[in-house]
Amino acid sequence: MDALRAEHLEKHYGQGDTLVRALQDVSLRVARGSVVALLGPSGAGKSTLVKALGLVSLPNAGRIWFGDQLVVDNGRLLASVQELRRAHLGFVFQRSNLVPFLTARQNVEIACEIGGTSNPKKRALELLDWLEVGHRASSMPDTLSGGEQQRVAIARALANHPKIVLADEPTAALDKVRGRAVMELFRKVAREQDAAVVVVTHDHRTLDIFDELHEMEDGRLSPTALATVAAH
Amino acid sequence: MNLAYLDVRHRLGRFIGTSLGVALLFAVVLAMAGIYLGLVDDATILVRSVRTNLWVVQQGTRGPFADMSRLDPSIVARVAAMPSVKRARAFTYQVMQREHAGRSLRFALVGLDFPVDRGEALALTHGRPIVQPHGEIIADASLGLVIGDTLHVAREELRVVGLTKQLLASGGDGLIFATVADAQLLAEDTPSDAIRAERERRTERLRQTDLGRAQPALEALTGDPDFRAPALASSPIAAVLVDVEPARADAVMASLAQWPDTSVFTSAEQEQLLLDGVVDKPRKQLALFAVILVVTSSLLIGAVVYMMTLDKTHDIAVLKLMGASPWRLGGLVLQQALAIGVVGYGIAVAIGVQAFPHFPRRVVLTEDTVMGVFALVLTISTVASILGIVHALRVDPARALEG
Ligand SMILES: Nc1ncnc2c1ncn2[C@@H]1O[C@H](COP(=O)(O)OP(=O)(O)OP(=O)(O)O)[C@@H](O)[C@H]1O
Ligand SMILES: [Mg+2]
Repeated sequence: MDALRAEHLEKHYGQGDTLVRALQDVSLRVARGSVVALLGPSGAGKSTLVKALGLVSLPNAGRIWFGDQLVVDNGRLLASVQELRRAHLGFVFQRSNLVPFLTARQNVEIACEIGGTSNPKKRALELLDWLEVGHRASSMPDTLSGGEQQRVAIARALANHPKIVLADEPTAALDKVRGRAVMELFRKVAREQDAAVVVVTHDHRTLDIFDELHEMEDGRLSPTALATVAAH
Repeated sequence: MNLAYLDVRHRLGRFIGTSLGVALLFAVVLAMAGIYLGLVDDATILVRSVRTNLWVVQQGTRGPFADMSRLDPSIVARVAAMPSVKRARAFTYQVMQREHAGRSLRFALVGLDFPVDRGEALALTHGRPIVQPHGEIIADASLGLVIGDTLHVAREELRVVGLTKQLLASGGDGLIFATVADAQLLAEDTPSDAIRAERERRTERLRQTDLGRAQPALEALTGDPDFRAPALASSPIAAVLVDVEPARADAVMASLAQWPDTSVFTSAEQEQLLLDGVVDKPRKQLALFAVILVVTSSLLIGAVVYMMTLDKTHDIAVLKLMGASPWRLGGLVLQQALAIGVVGYGIAVAIGVQAFPHFPRRVVLTEDTVMGVFALVLTISTVASILGIVHALRVDPARALEG
């Protein structure tokens, strides 16, 4: 079953001469347990698509389903955005974006708390252990390495058992080895948490990890054969 | 998990610095309120410390403090005979200046109606009330007198038997309490011109009595400063203090008001008369300062909390993407503003408790003031957080996605 489905998304910025059509008739389906990559040159509309799917910046037109729930119809939100975020979504950012005044555990715990998890502290420690950063649970973010920070950030994204995890260039700030390790974690997330994971990436060395690749160009999305891209 | 607390703990230095700054402002606000209460207290303490319900004074005057009130002593008995009156006391009051131990002593002399009133109602810090009809006084420590000191006035020796603290007349002079008889003696110990005039008045009065007409030789006695013929006693009193059953106070007051030779005031009215003259101007000045300080502290808290919120813009965006409610985010800002206010105020109260007793002016820090200003602090902090809250609520969650 699809965890995430988008149909005919349109998004434009500005008007007249400055009009930018960032998304043009974009449709996408991501099944549970699968991890897909969004590729494409800078300015192609990858971040715009992630923001639309994450209800951060709604599309001007088109429909979005979370599971079998229609959440956006013709660019309009059909339910409380807070509720939808808590119930369905997990975000991982380019830089870890951990809250600097909270420890690693607290960063995950606050997300559990907001999502209404019954025992947020326990859940946070479990997630950190699962992502193999349990030993840094009481460290402040600025004392963690980039890879550790990103793993804590993934743990945080998973706090509320999201069925959709969106990541925008999560490995941009990491070296090759750590970047690959993080990408492998996304696959683990998809498989073991039964989530649909959408990852924007420029890193063509890790594409073997993904189940599907989608290439964006000038606001248009086209499915790409794994082999084609791997040849780049 | 309390985000406000964790954030504050992470930047403890800034929080403490701001709280200290705010504390100093609040301490001055407290001092302003305390100085004002001190003024009010000083101005009205005499009226309160004699503890009575009604003041009967000379017709048309405003009582012994704001005016010159002279009553015939016989009025005391007339008042005492009224129904519902529990007690009527004579009261005299006079500001005077006398030499004592080589220095000039300025004081306000209060006559107590011994033995009905021995000064038991006064808050004595040392010694005892008056027990002898003559020669004993209770003095305020601010006059520099101690127990056992003797004042030599009007050929009498007045020994200090009790001390009070900070019992001042509205003009700031220390109070001395004596029996009415002694107070009148002192009051009559006037310079020679006045003595001559008084002697003539006595002779005049003597001539108007049957006794004086029958025995002209008595006139010689009126020249003797120590002579006081009871029948000629004319030394007026300033007021009659009337203690009544509280429930009947209005009725007693109404019937006293009918008397042609007296006016009557409640204790509260006497206090107000004292305040009208003394406290109005300083009150306005102190209030103005307090308003300026309140505005300044609101701006300070507001600016710091706003800055703290600006610094967290990105974190707030991240929290929004997690689905954090506006309540949680607004609460974060509000709690920090309140924390600065409350911690600052706590420090301010501690500063006040330590420092105010050393102020040259009397600063009265009452529980009511502390609670009242606390309520003000909570209001200030809440108002100050508004800008920060508005910012927090307006943060676009998309900012979390920007690197
Ligand atoms: N808030 C905005 N206002 C105006 N134009 C925007 C805005 N956000 C994005 N755009 C434009 O939309 C287009 C798509 O931008 P987007 O950020 O989605 O690209 P991207 O594929 O994520 O690029 P990159 O790989 O550099 O991150 C670009 O031309 C960009 O300039
Ligand atoms: Mg982008």
